[in-house]
Amino acid sequence: MNLQASSMFSLEGRTAVLTGATGFFGRTFARTLLSNGARLIALGRSERLENLSTGWSRDFGVDRVRSCRVDMYDLPAFSAVLDEIAAEEEVDVLVNNAYELGSATGFNTSDGALETATLDQWTRHFTSGIYWPALTVQKLGPGMKARGHGSIVNISTMYAVVAPDPRLYEGTRFLNPPGYSAAKAGTLAFTRYVASFWGSHGVRANAILPGPFSNTEEVSGNSVDSSDPFLGRLASRTSLGRPGQPQELAGALLFLASDASSYITGHALVVDGGWTAI
Amino acid sequence: MRTEVEALFDLTGRVAVITGGSGLLGYKHAEVIAAAGGTPVLVDLPATEPEAHARQLVEQYGVNALGCSVDITKLDEVTALLATILEQFATVDILINNAANNPKVESASNPAWSRLENFPLEAWEADLAVGLTGAFLCSKVIGAEMAHRNKGVILNIASDLAVIAPDQRLYMRDGLPRDQQPAKPVTYSVVKTGLLGLTRYLATYWADRGVRVNAISPGGVYDGQPDDFVSRLSALIPLARMARVDEYQGAVLFMCSDASSYMTGANVVLDGGRSCW
Repeated sequence: MNLQASSMFSLEGRTAVLTGATGFFGRTFARTLLSNGARLIALGRSERLENLSTGWSRDFGVDRVRSCRVDMYDLPAFSAVLDEIAAEEEVDVLVNNAYELGSATGFNTSDGALETATLDQWTRHFTSGIYWPALTVQKLGPGMKARGHGSIVNISTMYAVVAPDPRLYEGTRFLNPPGYSAAKAGTLAFTRYVASFWGSHGVRANAILPGPFSNTEEVSGNSVDSSDPFLGRLASRTSLGRPGQPQELAGALLFLASDASSYITGHALVVDGGWTAI
Repeated sequence: MRTEVEALFDLTGRVAVITGGSGLLGYKHAEVIAAAGGTPVLVDLPATEPEAHARQLVEQYGVNALGCSVDITKLDEVTALLATILEQFATVDILINNAANNPKVESASNPAWSRLENFPLEAWEADLAVGLTGAFLCSKVIGAEMAHRNKGVILNIASDLAVIAPDQRLYMRDGLPRDQQPAKPVTYSVVKTGLLGLTRYLATYWADRGVRVNAISPGGVYDGQPDDFVSRLSALIPLARMARVDEYQGAVLFMCSDASSYMTGANVVLDGGRSCW
């Protein structure tokens, strides 16, 4: 493979802000951005951020990593972090990946269901799916606009375009709440809005819609044991007959973040093993 | 973790058939296949000299390449094409259904021919033959070979006009009566939309055979069109410009390589945002 083909997807010399950097996707995205040349500004609220940053700095160099531990629900603190980044950095790539996936948003709890979902759960969905991306774009986008280039990648889900099939979840401990579909569909609408309003300023905005990528790497409120029959149900609902692995989102992220997609904006890139094709 | 660009997008040892390979975009697809280490097979009509274009790729990229004069609307010619490829390279890994008729109505001298009321049946049949029958026959023959080998990628080149309708006001000229105005041919929308159906059909049909099938829907590429046409079209696009000729190479490489290993049945719209507003 020659330099021309690989440089097309390279993020050499670019600065990328990634939210939710300690999560299941976030950890893969962080390494994808770093190993393809970007300087990474990683935002996360978990105490794991420090350990992960140490590892990234060791593997890619201290000057390539900046980490900001912040609880994004603390809006004044989150805003202050973003203001600081906007003042000190020239951000080329913004990846809105953070989302609250847990019992507080009604995942895998009976009170998260359509009949019982609470205002607090709905509010958290709209905050994490819509307002967090809106705030990062508002704070970091004007710099992109002024410099005449930038790529915003919002992480949505296939459940923004198709509904979960309740039969997949029946008799399991898993529940995918209505606020998730609604908020992630909102993420798509917001993506198109940014694409439309800032396209002529050279700022692109696109979304990735992952299919079933179950977190089997750890034990958390939203993880699945790798031997759980639920995974088989998800797999059989796809065309490819298997769930995705997080590194299978790396290509999509690099494609949208880099100049390889210079003529793409406002697009919802579906990476779902053919789930929505049938 | 296998996330480095070279590994994700590498096509070393993969043979890629590109129909319409001598054309403006077909040759660009072939270039990026070659740049990623793959072996492009340029398929096109004899008058377009696919063999000469292939030699050019060999010189430029130092890879294997093959040019084949083939009428893809003829089953026996497509069957013979596959035999030639297997004889020469012993494998076929990628099929890019790119060939399509696309007459430039924005600069035609006799513009009214392309209006629906005047559109010749022969032109309808010829356009469907190249764009849809050709893609069907290549998928039937070459796709089936990939399914037999349990591995492969088909990429169908659709268009932004597979997602939205042509805005006929783009093609109008001052001073011509309404019934003399040029129009984007109906076949273009039909062929490109049909390719999206073929994409989803093949994606599920061969999903269990390791053959991924996706489409890209590119917008218009700047190729010296008249200035007023370019500015009218650009006004319909959030990025406010037409695409550069090399701007689809990233998408082609992404879709043809393992970087898109979990994608099938998808349509990637590359239209500068034209269909998002």
